[in-house]
Amino acid sequence: MNIFIRELKANRKALIIWCIGVVFLVGSGMSKYAGMYSSGQSMNNLMADLPKSLQAMFGVGGLDLSKVSGYYGILFIYLLVMATIHAAMLGSSILSKEERDKTSEFLMVKPVSRNQVLSAKLCAAIMNVIIFNVVMLVSSIGLVNPYAKGENVIPDILLLMGGMFILQLLFLMLGMAIAAISKHPKRAVSLSTGILLATFILSMMIDISGQIDALKYVTPFKYFEAKQVMYGGGYDPVFVILSVVIIAVSLFATYYFYNKRDLTV
Amino acid sequence: MNVIEIDHLTKTYGQARGITDLSFTVEKGEIFGFIGPNGAGKSTTIRTLLGLIHPTSGSAKIFGKDIIQHGPEIKREIGYLPSEVFYYDNMKVKDLLKYSASFYNKDCSKRIKELAEVMDLDLSKKIDDLSLGNKKKVGIVQGLLHGPKLIILDEPTSGLDPLMQQKFFELLEQENKKGATILFSSHILSEVQRLCNRVAIVKEGKLIQLEKISTLKESNYKRFKIETKTPVSAGYFRMVGVNELKEEGQHVSFLYKGNINEVMRKIAAIEIQNVWVEEPDLEEIFMHYYEKED
Repeated sequence: MNIFIRELKANRKALIIWCIGVVFLVGSGMSKYAGMYSSGQSMNNLMADLPKSLQAMFGVGGLDLSKVSGYYGILFIYLLVMATIHAAMLGSSILSKEERDKTSEFLMVKPVSRNQVLSAKLCAAIMNVIIFNVVMLVSSIGLVNPYAKGENVIPDILLLMGGMFILQLLFLMLGMAIAAISKHPKRAVSLSTGILLATFILSMMIDISGQIDALKYVTPFKYFEAKQVMYGGGYDPVFVILSVVIIAVSLFATYYFYNKRDLTV
Repeated sequence: MNVIEIDHLTKTYGQARGITDLSFTVEKGEIFGFIGPNGAGKSTTIRTLLGLIHPTSGSAKIFGKDIIQHGPEIKREIGYLPSEVFYYDNMKVKDLLKYSASFYNKDCSKRIKELAEVMDLDLSKKIDDLSLGNKKKVGIVQGLLHGPKLIILDEPTSGLDPLMQQKFFELLEQENKKGATILFSSHILSEVQRLCNRVAIVKEGKLIQLEKISTLKESNYKRFKIETKTPVSAGYFRMVGVNELKEEGQHVSFLYKGNINEVMRKIAAIEIQNVWVEEPDLEEIFMHYYEKED
């Protein structure tokens, strides 16, 4: 319990800054929408004129931009990147920082097992991710609803945030597993975010090329795409199962390897 | 009763050597010195005992319990002071000590105050504002606040001024009188000589010697350096107890063990310019131990 509370305190400041960033990103994204909407331009036409690769880069593919939910679908990709970067960094740093700052020689000689340390840190990290997600949810609903024009956006946003939460957990656990396995704690955070960016770029390349569709199983950014979640009838069970499997494997690897390996001191 | 039992403990880092086939025991109530030059494997041994790293082969027991199976349970009664102390920078000393105490199911606030007073430590400061010596003091308080039965110290005096070292040693002696066993690792022979009952000497990962301090004191080595007015005849100082004799014209140096009067008479018999009599450093004693092994 003491480690859990300590971790919440240690991450409090960073979390507040991230949350301000979230509100700011949603807010500025929606103000752009307000500007576009009032100028009377049809965003669908505007986007349709763009080459397909550019459309893919903006993440438009198949979203109805005349509705605020469609616009939010585009914004969601950036929110998702932000949330997963936060989760991946948090997951790897919450574990590797003890070795990086050489405080493991303090913590690990206390009468606690490595499993207890892992569990406390994991709970604290999940708590952070939940707060992040709730802030995202509340600010999204609060800032999107004024433009809804009678459209009920809340169910869509709830669904998207649910998908985001699964991906947050996925990258959190992936980051933690990397920190648990890696013998070079200083590299754990950069490795985790590196993997994240690589899979994100892969997901864009899938959209652009249109021919490497099979790779969508490799990149989590394809698991809960806005158009699938909003127009395709919710979550695809294949991807939900895939996510759960990745999370479970990472969780197992974290506990297994962290118990086995020598700590860097 | 043995507090620490190390049994054929080996730890290798890939190809690099850590410790090789190390065995010794530390008895209850003793202050046990653990000395060796840098890189001898002292810290590796200690970190293995504390479960920070895992042994490659062999095993060790603390309080009769296996260090790996019963790690957390054993550590309830261990206080540890690492050679370099690192703490969470953005914490206050007070908060860090409270955090440290929260791991032990007892009220340590009174003891924290006492120890801080003895060590002259300001509890309200932030950790990152502290000097190296003051951080070390935090480490000392942190290691002793729960009244551990086994105190493990890894080169604990670095960064402490002589006055604080003195106070720290007194503190250790008090804890020892109360029944605590102490494992004291160091590369400074004099502090080990002062505190410890027995001493294990390690070099290159191996145990070279395990002796009582009293025995070690008998082997009282002195390093002599003599500058003479005229070159001395070769072999003038070749006598019983003289080792590593070097004669270079007017400069003579050697390591001497034995009756000091005899060598002084020898020196007095010749015309000298200058003389230095020094405590040999640890390295030289180790060299000697190696010679004895051959």
